[in-house]
Order: sequence, then structure tokens, then C-alpha cells
Amino acid sequence: MKTVRIIALRKDRKRLLEHLQDSALVQVTKSSETAAEGFERFDTSAQLKQFERNAELTEQALKILARVAPEKKGMLDSFKGRREVDPDEIGRIAADSAKIIGICQKIVKLNKQRADYAAEQVRIRTSLAQLEPWKKLDIPLNTKDTPTTAVLIGTLPKMFDGTLLSEALAKECPELVFEYEILYTSANMTCLVLFTPKKQREEAERALRTIGFSQPLNPTSRTPAVKMQRQQQKSEETVQKDEEARKEIAALAEYRQAICETQDYFVLRSEKYKVLADLDQTKHVFVLNGYVPEEDCAKLETLCGKAAPCVVEFGEADEDAPVKLKNSRFAEPAQSIVTMYSTPSHEDIDPTPILAFFFYFFFGMMFSDAGYGLLMIIATAIAIKVFKPDKRMYNNLKLFQYCGVATVFWGLVFGSIFGDAPAMFYKMFTGNEITMKALLPWPTLDTQKDALMIMILSIALGMVHIIVGMGCKFYVCLKRKEYAKAFFDTGLWILLLIGAAVLAVGMATNAVVLYIGTGIAVAAAIGLVLTQGREKKGFFGKLLGGVASLYDITSYISDLLSYSRLLALGLTTGVMAQVFNMLSNLFGTSPVGILFMAVIFIVGHAITIGLNALGSYVHTMRLQYVEMFSKFYEGGGRPFQPFSTKSKYFRTKGSKEE
Amino acid sequence: MYGMFLAILAASVATVFAGIGSAKGVGSAAQTSMGVLSEDSSKFGKMLVLTLLPGTQGLYGFIVGFLILINCGVLGGSLPTTGQGFAFLGASVAIGIGGMISGFAQGKAAVSGITMTAKDEKNFSKAMVSITLVEIYALLAFIVSLLVVISVPNLKV
Repeated sequence: MKTVRIIALRKDRKRLLEHLQDSALVQVTKSSETAAEGFERFDTSAQLKQFERNAELTEQALKILARVAPEKKGMLDSFKGRREVDPDEIGRIAADSAKIIGICQKIVKLNKQRADYAAEQVRIRTSLAQLEPWKKLDIPLNTKDTPTTAVLIGTLPKMFDGTLLSEALAKECPELVFEYEILYTSANMTCLVLFTPKKQREEAERALRTIGFSQPLNPTSRTPAVKMQRQQQKSEETVQKDEEARKEIAALAEYRQAICETQDYFVLRSEKYKVLADLDQTKHVFVLNGYVPEEDCAKLETLCGKAAPCVVEFGEADEDAPVKLKNSRFAEPAQSIVTMYSTPSHEDIDPTPILAFFFYFFFGMMFSDAGYGLLMIIATAIAIKVFKPDKRMYNNLKLFQYCGVATVFWGLVFGSIFGDAPAMFYKMFTGNEITMKALLPWPTLDTQKDALMIMILSIALGMVHIIVGMGCKFYVCLKRKEYAKAFFDTGLWILLLIGAAVLAVGMATNAVVLYIGTGIAVAAAIGLVLTQGREKKGFFGKLLGGVASLYDITSYISDLLSYSRLLALGLTTGVMAQVFNMLSNLFGTSPVGILFMAVIFIVGHAITIGLNALGSYVHTMRLQYVEMFSKFYEGGGRPFQPFSTKSKYFRTKGSKEE
Repeated sequence: MYGMFLAILAASVATVFAGIGSAKGVGSAAQTSMGVLSEDSSKFGKMLVLTLLPGTQGLYGFIVGFLILINCGVLGGSLPTTGQGFAFLGASVAIGIGGMISGFAQGKAAVSGITMTAKDEKNFSKAMVSITLVEIYALLAFIVSLLVVISVPNLKV
């Protein structure tokens, strides 16, 4: 990484920035918080806010459209790359942007109206529910007294029938004369109308109040039936209005593409204005500071020279410069796995190539089926060919393609092609038993019968993996000139692990190897005891520190055992495939049986692929992150994020992808 | 005769108990992830991965069960002796109980991982790795069960 400073005339600013954005070569930084003396900075925050608000608005509108008029999208469309547009078209998008923003506003407004209608509906429903018990009342709820008769309308909080009510009122006020009508009763409510001579109104009210009488909440001047009818009518009207608004939004769905592109346009502009705010400017000149990857320096110089007269200066990058990973075609797909953990810092080495190899290798060992691997290779190849995906998706597909190759390899080693499908078909149509081992011309390992063997193999591979990780640590320490750390803390452990491995081989083969292994391991252990306490004070402190460090062996043992998942997941794939083969075999060779077989075979293997590909992916990742990265990798670097077109839906012709 | 009975019992123990662990683990993870999805359905892929992580225990149990059935003569082959039946049963307890309890624990870890990913999708890989830390114990139980089961037919007991 190099620092770069570009000095050019202000009149060329727009053109130069556009070229830089399309080429995605430079990450622009502020030289300092405030402009250098004699320079000024533009305050672009107002425009920036406007652009961001517009982008936000389009996003809202798109979400509403997605809900109201979902786009018909194929399952495979997500592999598709972005549409390419040329500068003329961007001009057209820019010209239309005001109109499109207007449409977005309209969509959002209509959506708000729909929310209001929904609220209205709720209100009407509550009101209807309140009126329901009064349905039978044929006078308005707020009926006033006549000159001679008092009218009392209300509810009692208990179930009453005529007798109960009469008894209750007689108990409270024996002389009360009244007539009543019970309109509705339920377990905890009674609605009634009570008539009584006007002069007895107060007694009646008192008596009623003692048994819990209360007046209806919102009395109206129309009879409940009429009121309910009106509300229902209103409800229907709201539904209709809502439907109209929905249709109106749906009609605007034809602008979806335009809205997407307008959003991109505003995102691009806000990117540009963010950079603009970081430039130091005078009346005639502007200065741009940034970082550029070392290999792109020459490219940048010619690009700037072509765009406008300018001065380009390069300088050495400091400690906190961003990091750009550069890898071979083989390793590049695994880069995303590394950055998902953390971008390497300047202190680290880029672990991608090592990780890539082990990632593919272990994935293959866990998924371990030649048939599935072949499917992966073919499917990813077709996806790449047909959909022409953009860089990120391309790399993801490539990752699985390489994993597929490893899967085929391990499938052949374990003698597994769609489980034991070839043997199953052989038996089905000839009636003779045959094992995969006998069917395949090369020596194979059977995950079930040779499980112990494969477990040893898994742990041996784990040992290699861990030692490679520690080798990286050794290398990093040497590079930083921390020799004690390199030789004592890392080298001796590597030696101890190698000794243990030789010892294990010796146990299985002959005594001489055993003694050599023991010798190496013991020598390394003594070395560790002597050196690991070197930072402690006093003889006993040093000795104790050294002995205590040997306790770390437990962590290495648990790391190694962790690799037994290579066997476990490999076996899981094989056995699941075998089970489905067995099930598909149950229906015999009649035409119906073969139909059943085909269905079970396809569905069963699809399930196996889904479950086990997921498991293999997750567990390889874990082996890299927990077992290997913990040995040497620190991360914490800042990823290189060049000034580029971060658009979602289109990409400008000739622009570089990031 | 008893050998056969014990072997079938063993297959059931391995499959059922490990299955209980996974069922509970995946169940609680699925509940949580559906809560997240109700807010933002675009996270479905990541949620699916995290939800499925406690599911492997059941698979391990099933595989041990299946291997026992293959080795005990239910699906062809010779009948096990009573001693071999007990050996199967003993082996199946490892993945049965180990799978069940680690399934519970992994389910809890998955729930936390899902909430963490819901807050910030960048946490996804960390959540995933942390959840798989639990799995090693199910795996060890599985390996023990497995090594015993495949060697039982050669046992003279």
C-alpha cells in the first residue's frame, strides 16, 4: 500500500473524480481533521443529507412495492449480476430523478393513507362491538324523558332476568313503580331500558346505582340499528378506498426498475459528495489524499494523466494504512472466509492461500461423496456461465466449485458415489450382493468398517494443519525479529508435536522409531521447561513457569481430537445416503417401484446434500477459525475500501468491480 | 434372543435420546429465529444456518442406531449374543445422553447467537463458531459409541 496525493485544477474536479470512482483504485482519506493552512473544505453535509434522504425514500417505496405488488423472481435470479449502463443512461436517470422521487413520495403517501384506513377499520369494529348488545333497542341511546315518564337506559354488570331485577329493585326501593325491557343479557352484562314516573326518577336512579347501573359510553341520537348500519357502510367505503389506494400503488410498480436505478444514482452521488468534503481546496486547485495498492500506482498515474493535467505523488504508507488482499485465482474465493473472521493487519501474513487449501480439503473430506461433488461442480459452472454473476457471487460460486473438486476426490477415496448407489443398482437389477469396495477398481476406505483408520487419518491431518498454523507463527515471529518467541514458544512446541507424531508412528511400526519420537518429544519438553519461565523472577519462579507451561499440552490434545469431526461428518454423509438408497430400493423393479425409487432417491439425496453441505461448511470454517487461526492469526486490519461505485442495481460500463 | 432385544433397545436409546436433545435445541432456536424473521425476513439464510446447528446430535444418534441395526441382524446377518447386546446398549448410552444434553446446551447457545446476529449481521461467523464449540462434546460421545458399535460383531462375549 502506498499513500497518494493528487493535485489538480478545480475545473477538472468533476471529471477526475468520476474517473477515480469508476476505476476504484484509490481510497480517499482526509489529510487531517481541518483543512491545511491556505486551503478550505467544502461543507457538503446539506447535499449529502438530501441525497441520503432521497435514497432512503426510494428504499421505502421499494419495500412498499415489494409488499403490495411482489416482483416475480426466480429462485436463481439472485445469482444474476448487475445491469450494465453507459454514461448516457446515467444522464437520463439523473434527469428523471425528480420525477421518480415524486412517484416515491406518492407511493409513501398512499401507503400512509392505507395505514389510516386500517386504523379506521379498527375503530369501526370497536364501535360495532359496543353497539351489538343494543341492537334490539328501537329508540336512540340518548332518549330524553317525556313530560311524564323518565327513561333510563344503561347496563348492569351481572346477569339479570325480569324476576331478579324486580326483586333487586323492590329490595332497594319498595315503592318504586317501573316498567322495563331487557335487551341483552350475558354472564357479566345486562342491557336494559327502564321507565318510571318522572317524579320517581331520583329514587329509581339511586336504586339502580346500588345494583351497579351505568349509562352507555357514547350515547347517540340515532337508534343503534341505524347507527350500526351507518358504521357498516363506512367500513365498506374504507375497504373500497383502501383497495383503490392499493391498486394505485400497484399501478406504480411499473416504475420499480426506475426507482432502483434512481436509488443507485443517489447512492453514487452521495459517495462522491462524501469524497468532496474530504478535499483540500483553494480558489483554483484541489488536493486529494488517499491510499492506493502498490501494484496499481502506475495505472493510477496514467489514468489521472489522461483525465486532466495534474500532479500525482506517491509516498510510503504508515502503520494504519488499509489492507488489500491479493491472491491467486485458486485462493481468492476463500478470501471472504478470512475477512469474515477479520482482515489481516500489517503484522500478520495473509493466511488466505493456506486457509484456501485446507478449507477445500476438509470440506471435501466431510462431504465426501463423488456424486455430490460432481453435482456441485456442474451446478456452479452452469450458474457462472448462465448468470454472469458479479465478483462477489462469482467468488462464492468458485469457492463451492473448488470444494466440489475436493469432495469428488474424497468421495472416490471413501468409495462413495451417491452413497452406495452403484452397488444398490447392481443388486437391484442382477440380484447379486456387491460392495462398493469390490466394485471400484482402486483401493478405498470404508467409512463404517475402517472408521478407526479414518479417525487416525483425521487426527494426523489435524496435526499437519496445526503444525502449519504454528509454522506461520514461527515465520511471523522471525519477521518481527522476536527470536525467543519464535524458537522457544513456537519452535519447541512444533518439535514436541512432531516428536509425539513420530512416537505414535513408532508404536504402530517398530521400536527404533518409537525411541526416536520419544527422544524428540522429551528433548522438546525439557527445552520448554527451561525456557517458558524466562519472564518470571527467581529460580523457582522460572522453574514453575516452565513446568506449568507443559500443561498447554491439554489444549493441543483437545485441538487434535476436534479433528475427529472429519470422520464424524464424512460418516454422516455416507450413512444418510445409504439409508435413502435402502429406502428407495424397497419397492422392487416393477415400473411403479422404479417410479417410487426415483422419487425417494431424488428427494432423499437432496435432503442429504442440504444437511451435510451445511454441516461441512460450518465445521470446516470452525476448524480454520478455532484450531488454526488461534495459533498465529491476529487480524484487526482495516480493509481497503476504494472510492468506487457502490451501486446495488446497475453498474457503469467500464467501471471496476469491488 | 435377548441379544436381539438388547440391540434394538440400544438402537432406540441412541436415536431417541440424541433426537430429544436436537429437537429441543432446534425448536428453541427456530422459535427465536422466527421472531427475528418477523422483523426482517431477508435474514432467512443466516437464521437457517444458526437454527440447524443443534440438529447434528439427532443425526449422530440416528447413525449409531442405524449401524447397530446393520450389525445386529435386523437387516440381515447373524444374531448378536446377549453379551454383544449389552455392549450395544452400553455404547448407545454415550451418544444418547451426550447428544441429548449437548443438544440442550447448543440450543441455548444458538438462541443467543441468533439474537446476536439479529443485532448485527457481521457477528454471524462469530456466532456460528461459538455455537459449534458445544458440538465437540456430542462429537466425542459419537466417536465413542461408533468405535464400540463397529467392533461389537468381533467381540466374543
